[in-house]
Amino acid sequence: MELNKTNSNTVDQCRFCWMCRHICPIGNATGQERNTARARALSLSLVKRGAAKLEGDIVDNLYECALCRGCSNDCATGFDPTAFTKEARLSAALEGNMPSYVAKLIENINSTGNIYGEKQVSSVLLDEIRDLDPSAKTLFFIGKDGAYRTPETASEAVKLLKKAGVSFKVHKYEPNSGYDIDFLIGAAKETKDVMQKCADEIKAQNVDTVVCYDPADAKVFLHEYKEYGIELGCKVVTFPAFVLSLIKDGKLSPKKADKEYTVQDSAILARDLDDTDSVRGVLSACGKLKEMLLFGKATMLAGNLIMNEYIPGVMALVAEDRIQNALHVGAVTLVTSSPAEYRLLKDNAKGRIEILSLEEAVAKCL
Amino acid sequence: MTDFLFTMILSELEDAVGRENCSTHEIDKITHSVDYFWLSRMWADRGRRMPEADVVVSPKNAEEVSKVLKIANYYKIPVTTWGGGGGTQGGAIPVAGGILLDTKRMNKIYDFNESSMYIEAGAGTIYKHLEWAANERGYATMHYPSSLTCSTVGGFLAHRGIGVVSTKYGKIDDMTLQMEIVLPNGDIIYTSPAPKHAAGPDLNQIFIGSEGTLGVITKAQMRIYDQPEDRRFRGFLFKNMHDAFAASKELLQKFKPSVMRLYNEAETASLIKKIVGVEKPGAFMNIAYEGVKEIVDVEEKILLETFARYNAEDLGSEYGEKWWKEKITFFYPGHMMDLPQMFGTMDTIAPYDKIEKIYWAMKEAIETNFPMARFIAHFSHWYEWGCMIYDRFIVDDVPQDPAEALRLHNAIWSLGVRTAIANGGVVNDHHGVGIKLGRLMKEQYGPAMQVFEGLKKSLDPNGIMNPFKLGL
Repeated sequence: MELNKTNSNTVDQCRFCWMCRHICPIGNATGQERNTARARALSLSLVKRGAAKLEGDIVDNLYECALCRGCSNDCATGFDPTAFTKEARLSAALEGNMPSYVAKLIENINSTGNIYGEKQVSSVLLDEIRDLDPSAKTLFFIGKDGAYRTPETASEAVKLLKKAGVSFKVHKYEPNSGYDIDFLIGAAKETKDVMQKCADEIKAQNVDTVVCYDPADAKVFLHEYKEYGIELGCKVVTFPAFVLSLIKDGKLSPKKADKEYTVQDSAILARDLDDTDSVRGVLSACGKLKEMLLFGKATMLAGNLIMNEYIPGVMALVAEDRIQNALHVGAVTLVTSSPAEYRLLKDNAKGRIEILSLEEAVAKCL
Repeated sequence: MTDFLFTMILSELEDAVGRENCSTHEIDKITHSVDYFWLSRMWADRGRRMPEADVVVSPKNAEEVSKVLKIANYYKIPVTTWGGGGGTQGGAIPVAGGILLDTKRMNKIYDFNESSMYIEAGAGTIYKHLEWAANERGYATMHYPSSLTCSTVGGFLAHRGIGVVSTKYGKIDDMTLQMEIVLPNGDIIYTSPAPKHAAGPDLNQIFIGSEGTLGVITKAQMRIYDQPEDRRFRGFLFKNMHDAFAASKELLQKFKPSVMRLYNEAETASLIKKIVGVEKPGAFMNIAYEGVKEIVDVEEKILLETFARYNAEDLGSEYGEKWWKEKITFFYPGHMMDLPQMFGTMDTIAPYDKIEKIYWAMKEAIETNFPMARFIAHFSHWYEWGCMIYDRFIVDDVPQDPAEALRLHNAIWSLGVRTAIANGGVVNDHHGVGIKLGRLMKEQYGPAMQVFEGLKKSLDPNGIMNPFKLGL
C-alpha cells in the first residue's frame, strides 16, 4: 500500500482515536464500529505493518466513507482521515483490488460519461436549455447528479436564471467534471484525464464564468484541478453565491414572507468551499431561518448519490437522520443546494417535511 | 468447532438479529479487537493481531439481545459486549473469541421526560448524542468525560464512568434511574422504578460497573439537569499539594463546585503549561462553580475567602475558562501521551486522611522501582470525605519486543495499584477493571470477592459473559 508521509502519519494518529465518531453520518446511521475514521485507520495501520491485506472487506470499508470531512472538521489537532481514505482507495485500485461495484461505476463513466450509465438527459431539462444564447460568457454547469438524478430542480434553476435575465448557456453534452471518479479512485491518471478533457471543453466554450449548480463540481474545479495542475481559464462561482448576487443586484426580487426555512448545509459548500452564508443570504430574502442541529461548517451529510449506487440502504438511513434532526427542531421546510442531498432527502421524507432545492424556494417567492 | 457447526450457529444468530447485522468480516473483527487499552494498542502497533471475535452481532433491542444470549448459552460461546470501544482497561476486547455484541444499534431515545428530568435511551446511544438531545430542549446531561463523543450510555454504565463536573452532579451511577438488562439466560429484567428505595439492595448498583460479566444493559434512564444560569471559573496556584487538600476539604463542607482539578507540580509544569499556559511553579487548581446566579455570587465569596486562608494565589478566571474550552483537546492525538511511549492512568480514590499518603507512596514506588518512568498526577473528582488521584506513569523508552513491553507494563501497574491498595486506596476510580486489573480484584476485596463470584456463578453458570474480565 502506497501512502504519502502525511497520510501515513495520519493513519497512525487516528488508529486509536474515536473523538470524531459522533459526527460521522455513516457511523451514526449504521451503528457499525467499522464506520469510523478510527476503524479505517486501524485496519490500514495493520496493512502498513503487514498484519492485514488491502483487499476484500477492508477495501469495501474505505468505500463506506462519504469523504464529507465531518471528522477532519471536528478534529482538534487538524488530522484529515478522508485524505488517507482517498489515497488508500487509489492504492487498492493500483494493486488490482478495486471492488467490482466501483469498477462498474468507472466503466459507466468511460462508456457514458456518468457513473449512472445514463445515455439520455431528461427531456424536461433538455427542453429548458434548448434556446440559450451560444455566445453567452457565462456557462451554467449542471453536473451529473443534476442532469440525471434531479433534472426537475436543475430545470427550475435554469428557469430562475432566465427570469433574472442572465445571459448564459448550458453545454448540451456537458463533460464530466471528474468529481465522481476522483471520489472513487482519487488522483489516478484516469481521473486527471477526465478532468483535463472537461477543462478543455470548458475552455472551448470561450466563457469567463462557470456557475456550478452542484457544489461537488465547484469543489473539483477549485481544488483538485489546481492540485493536479489543470487550468480551467475562467472564474468559478457556486449557484447559491450566484443567486445571492442576482438578489443583491436587484435582478431577482423574492417577496419576503413569514415562511421558515431550515438549511441542510452541503458538506462540500460548508467545509471545502467555506460558504455557508450564500444559502442563508438567499433564504433570508425569502423568509425566516430556523437552524437545526449541526448546521454551517459542522453540518452532517444527508446523502451521497455515488454511494447510493452501491449502499442505497445506508444512504436512506443517512437521509433519515437529517430528516429527524430537522423534525426535532420543528422544521417544516428543509432546503438544500446539493442535488444529491435533495434527491435522497426528497425520496425519504415521505411527506413528513417539505424538501426544497434552493431554486424551488426562491421560485415560490417570486 | 467444525465449519458445519459454526455455520449452523451463525445462521441462528442471523435469524436473531438479521443477516446484515451479523458479520464475520475481517474488518469488523479487526475493528473490535483493539480498544483504548495501551496493551492492545501496543500489540497492534507491533504488527500483531489482537484476539478477535468469531462473529460480530449488532442487535437492535433487548429482545434481540435475549435471543443472542440464549443461543450463546446453549452452545456455551463467550459473549463480549462492546459499546464505543473507548475503554482503557481492555474490558471490551473479545479475548476468548466467540460473539462480540456491539450495542450501537440500540441508540433510540425512547422518552424525554421533563416531568421527572430524565431521558430514557438505548444503551448504544453515544453520550454526546444524548447531550445534544438534552441541549435541544435547554437541558444538559452534566456527564462530560473526555470520551463524551466516543462512548455510549451502556459503556459508561458498564465501567462506572465519571465526568469533569462530577463534584457537583455526581458519577454515572448517581445519574441513573431505571435500567433494562438482559441476563445471561436471556431474561429481560428491569431495576427498581426509582433509584432510591428500601426494597432490598440496589439492583442498579449491582449491574453498574459489572463490565458485561453479569448481563447486557440495553436501556437506561439518565438524569438531565437545568443548564446553569451562571458558570464561573477561577484558577489558583498553591505552594504545595498539602495546602490544596486542606483548602479543598474545607471548601467542600460549605458548597460543591462543579469542577475541581488539582495538578501536582510535575503535571502543572508539563500538560498545564502546554495547554493552559500556566508558567509558574506550584500546584495549579482549577475550580468552576455554577447554578443560580445569586447562589454563585455567594459561592465565589466563600471560595476566595477559603483559599486565601491557605495562601493560594488567585490567577483569575482566564486559565479556567481556557481549560474548559480545551478540556477535551488534551485527549486528541498530538496533545496526549501516545505510542511509542508507554503510559497508564492508575486512578484511585480514598478518604482525605489517606489520599496524600497514597499519592506519595505511589510516586515513590514507581519512581524508585522504575526509574525510567515519569510520574504525574492530578486530583479531579472530589467529595466531602475524600477525592481521587488521577496518577499517570509515562515511559519513553519501551522494549520493542511486545512480550517484554507487556511484562514491563504489567509490572508497573501491579506495583502502583498494590501500593494504592496497601495504603487505603481502591483498585480503580472510574476507568473500571477489565482484563488489565482483574488479577488485583481478589487482593482488593479478599473474602468479599465471593459476593461477586456468587452473583457471577448464579447469573452466568456457563461463564459465557465477558470471560477473564473484572477478575471473574
